[in-house]
Amino acid sequence: MTEQIPTDQTKELPPGLQLEKVDDRIMTLNVGPQHPGSGHMRIIVRIDGDYIVDADPDPGYVHRGEEKMAEVRNYLLNIPHLERPVIHDSCNILYPYVLGVEDLVGIEVPERAKYVRVIAAELNRCVYTQYWLAIYGIFLGHSTMFMWPAGDRELMIDLLEKMTGARVTHSYFIPGGVRNDIPANFEDVCLRQVNYFEKRIKEYADIFYDNPILKARTEDTGVLSSQDAIRLGTTGSVLRASGIDYDVRVKEPYDVYEELDVHTNVLKDGDSYARSKIPWLDMLESCNIIRQALEKMPKSGSVRTKLKPNPKGVGNDEVYRRVESGRGAAGMHIISNGKPEPYRVKISPGSFRNLIALPYLLKGEKLGNMPAVYWSLNYWPVEADR
Amino acid sequence: MGTATGIIKALNSGVKHLAVKRFTLRYPEQKLKLVGDGYQFDPATGVGIAGYKGRHMLFHDHCTGCNLCSIACEGVAEAIGMVKVPNTWKHNKKAIMPQIDYGKCVFCGLCVDACPFYALYMSNDYELSSFTKEGLIYTPQQLQVKPNVQQDAEIQIDDRGATHG
Ligand code: SF4
Ligand code: SF4
Repeated sequence: MTEQIPTDQTKELPPGLQLEKVDDRIMTLNVGPQHPGSGHMRIIVRIDGDYIVDADPDPGYVHRGEEKMAEVRNYLLNIPHLERPVIHDSCNILYPYVLGVEDLVGIEVPERAKYVRVIAAELNRCVYTQYWLAIYGIFLGHSTMFMWPAGDRELMIDLLEKMTGARVTHSYFIPGGVRNDIPANFEDVCLRQVNYFEKRIKEYADIFYDNPILKARTEDTGVLSSQDAIRLGTTGSVLRASGIDYDVRVKEPYDVYEELDVHTNVLKDGDSYARSKIPWLDMLESCNIIRQALEKMPKSGSVRTKLKPNPKGVGNDEVYRRVESGRGAAGMHIISNGKPEPYRVKISPGSFRNLIALPYLLKGEKLGNMPAVYWSLNYWPVEADR
Repeated sequence: MGTATGIIKALNSGVKHLAVKRFTLRYPEQKLKLVGDGYQFDPATGVGIAGYKGRHMLFHDHCTGCNLCSIACEGVAEAIGMVKVPNTWKHNKKAIMPQIDYGKCVFCGLCVDACPFYALYMSNDYELSSFTKEGLIYTPQQLQVKPNVQQDAEIQIDDRGATHG
């Protein structure tokens, strides 16, 4: 015989301690933040049987205060920490900052440095996309698709290591150009490895993109219409998979993208399959861009316009620059007040834009389709949290 | 394309890899060959020299104890502290030189860019693990030692795929 504990039903519980009303049908599930299938983020999913009725992404678990840190360091010393949000795509996330500071200080970048930066950025895009593809493969249960991209990524990392001296966090771009010239013979090695890389990733079609099992899993799941893609403000591969032709490299060319022939890959379906295919097509396009840039690059010349350690002459001014990163448009808004440190640096990454589509895409899907939809958003939790 | 053909094609593309060479680098038996002798910086032109950003090398005959490397690192990782060295030099009256804590260093190389006297470079040595935190702190004497690295594996590409030699 258990004794009934008398409870005071009238007592007001403080906010946050209130018990949730229990519904017999609907179950609330916390996916993450430490669960590997959600990245470093919690997704609160409410399910009815096997179907998702409501999904609420809860980013912020890996917030690092990058924007605040940028206010107490000078323009040069901001470089190593500003690339930390996406270490696999460190050149591209640093690119808008470097372009912005160049605009603020008003320095010209040597022609050769512009080409070197484009090559580094495209190599980095491949490194990031391969990493993302490996994760996408393993969460769909395709372990070969985890091994192959993770291995082939090494070809690109090797090139970046030769160029920048670091395998992942390069700290290579600097206002005024790049920190060091590319080593001798780099062009030949680069061309050889990029060609082989292209041949390798074309082989992914048979095992992954044309694989009926993958198609059954991802086609018609999480469909995002083109109107919704615009209304929600998505960018990058998510936007282009929904049939919108938008690429910052083409629409607002920076550095030497204007002189290169950049093809924008667009697919119309807007489902998880299209969203997972666009980054792969982009990698093939990156190989084209690298080849063009290697050909057109001036064979010698300066790669850096010298900048004083504390750039003077930064007045009260603000600038917003953006580039196409591996996850869509990445922008930085830099406000200066004449001091050696920026007054404010606002990072506007592609991941955060794309995350907003998640609740809409998951509604009505089966819980088992969650990884297929979630990872197809090309989302990087650390970048969104900054 | 039918489902069956698709699955057979996918399986076949995996089977073909039985004849492809192994790409994996067998570290530590093999070590990747790195470009040059490590990252260096030429203060005269203001441009670096391509190389791997590994453990630093300190040239005692150049270092003046000017503190600039430590000031640069303060904004990055606070890894450099200036310490006393036993012998004094004509160019280094204060007898202080940088000591680097590799528990904090992020290998950005901005301290190398800051040094105006060609005294601080980076080397190809990246095997710095230690059982204690103190073991990660390298004194000026330790930084002076040229690392002895044997790295020779390079990516080789032929018809049967890529290998590390
Ligand atoms: S490489 Fe960067 S983090 Fe390391 S000591 Fe030099 S400035 Fe500091
Ligand atoms: S290493 Fe260079 S920057 Fe550092 S104290 Fe010595 S001379 Fe100055």
